Amino acid sequence: MSTSSRTVSRLSRILALIPFVLENESADVAEILERFGYTEAQLTKDLNTVFVCGLPGYGPGDLMEAYIDEDAVVIDAADYFIRAPRLTPTEALGLLAAGMAVIGAGESTATLESAVAKLTKAVMPEAETSLAVDLLDETANTSRLREAAAESKVVKIVYRSVGKEETTSREVEPWSVFATLGRWYVTGHCRLVDDERTFRVDRIRELELTDEVFQRPESIPEPGVGYSPSPGDVTCEIELLPSATWVLDYYPVETLRETKRSTIIKFLSPDAEVPARLLLRLGADAKLRKGEEVAARVAALGSELASIYQ
Amino acid sequence: MQSVVERVLNLLIFLLESPTPVTADEVRNTVAGYGGQTDEAFHRMFERDKDVLRRLGVPLKREALDVWEVDFGYTVNPDEYAVPDPGLTQEERVALSVAARMVRLGGSHVGLDALLKLGGIERGVGIEPLGADLGAEAETLGALFGAITERRPVEFDYRGNERALSPYGIAHRRGHWYVVGAAAGGEERVYRVDRISQLSVTGEPQSFEKPAGFDARTIMDRQPWEAGPDAEIEAKVRFEEDVSWWAARTLGLEEPKGELVASIPVANRDAFIGWVLSFGAAAEVVEPAEIRAEILARVLAAQEGSS
Repeated sequence: MSTSSRTVSRLSRILALIPFVLENESADVAEILERFGYTEAQLTKDLNTVFVCGLPGYGPGDLMEAYIDEDAVVIDAADYFIRAPRLTPTEALGLLAAGMAVIGAGESTATLESAVAKLTKAVMPEAETSLAVDLLDETANTSRLREAAAESKVVKIVYRSVGKEETTSREVEPWSVFATLGRWYVTGHCRLVDDERTFRVDRIRELELTDEVFQRPESIPEPGVGYSPSPGDVTCEIELLPSATWVLDYYPVETLRETKRSTIIKFLSPDAEVPARLLLRLGADAKLRKGEEVAARVAALGSELASIYQ
Repeated sequence: MQSVVERVLNLLIFLLESPTPVTADEVRNTVAGYGGQTDEAFHRMFERDKDVLRRLGVPLKREALDVWEVDFGYTVNPDEYAVPDPGLTQEERVALSVAARMVRLGGSHVGLDALLKLGGIERGVGIEPLGADLGAEAETLGALFGAITERRPVEFDYRGNERALSPYGIAHRRGHWYVVGAAAGGEERVYRVDRISQLSVTGEPQSFEKPAGFDARTIMDRQPWEAGPDAEIEAKVRFEEDVSWWAARTLGLEEPKGELVASIPVANRDAFIGWVLSFGAAAEVVEPAEIRAEILARVLAAQEGSS
């Protein structure tokens, strides 16, 4: 965090703390620490800062009062700070989006819905039609997987893989279920490949909970959803014309060379299927420069498609 | 030596308590922490402190002090400064606190910062701590959201192209944030927020009207090929039994028993063809003939470019 970001977050908390203490006279120190995420040392430091600020003149009668009296926080002579500053757009968005995301996840309660409605009306009336947050789908499978992970029960899934676009049946020992980038994932040990795998919950076609209990690993690796290369991967080099550079945003590729005319990338994937399908889609906008396996797959799948569309 | 935090607090108090706008000179001569500086050092300091105030959400305004607009002063209206009270119940505050703890925006819990201003974070009660991150740059999103609520046009770089937009709304869908609005000619445009750079909010507040009935939620129900530059046509696609369930799920259709033949509205042919080809040979565009011809042309070109 930069110095000025630190200044802003410290001030933001002070300007939120003062109104709370003014409204809740002799607020309990422990409650303040928890409610505002303070350590005792930070709170003391901020109160000491408040204590030396006030109106021009800056004599004893001009400064705010702020101190800890036994177990209570006391602030006085700070009427100009009776209310906290209004929310910045980022703060308002962060809170509204969090509420909407949880509602959209099917974890909602009537209380949360009324809270989001009140908040929208008070702080950002425009947000009602200007903001939409969709976090997740497949809540039924998500909660069943969470149940299986909690009870260490093996599950059987029929899964359409992201890397290969193929459907397989697998037995999985689910370790944890999490959401990131708008999707639910389950991570665990996949018995089909005898290795750790992360699955997208929305791509699970069928899910069956078994009664078999598995041994959880002592420590669960930090789940990752990105593609991580492994030794058996297929490598190829593709030259992209400017009209096809969007590929850089969508696939985890490495840029080898970039000129005004084209971009050359290195494409790694578990098999030749994904780069082959991509090349077929790109048509004249891309050229395969290296990669025999991928060339063979483009030729085979290309012939199949050509006979369909001829 | 006074700390920046003390100086900014003193400045804010001075601005909130002054009934009329105050000049930079008055600040320099009155507020603790600004004295004894060279002109240049003072101006640098004052600029930085004004920026800090704005980032805190303080509605700092610059106003002309005379009709000739020679002298300017700064002012903060206490009513505009104060966060509106949403009137939340204790239970509602707990529910929001739990949600803000669960959901991050670009890795940070900005929702919790908002809660501090609304009276602090409530202790959660027996709810499983799930983690979710909505991704994207919180700062870019926040600036776009601010422009939307104030109805101010924006300009930005989008993959190397300059774009101007009157933003109507933002939506998070399948892991990405999108901003919807109107281009200079009035046509509706959708941009992915993570590809936006060098965003600047350029126009004055209330510069445009949002179309009546606009609702950001409707753009979430769209597929990538439903919004685009092409004239909308209807395509018919046949999906083999092996993949028909996955296609049906993507299209929001009932899961079929065997193969699936679906009619799909297409306004972005490139995105549509990319999606159909992601099924390999297990999906076939049955009609129209022009899309079939385009797929064939691409396949032949790819075969040539890969041999």
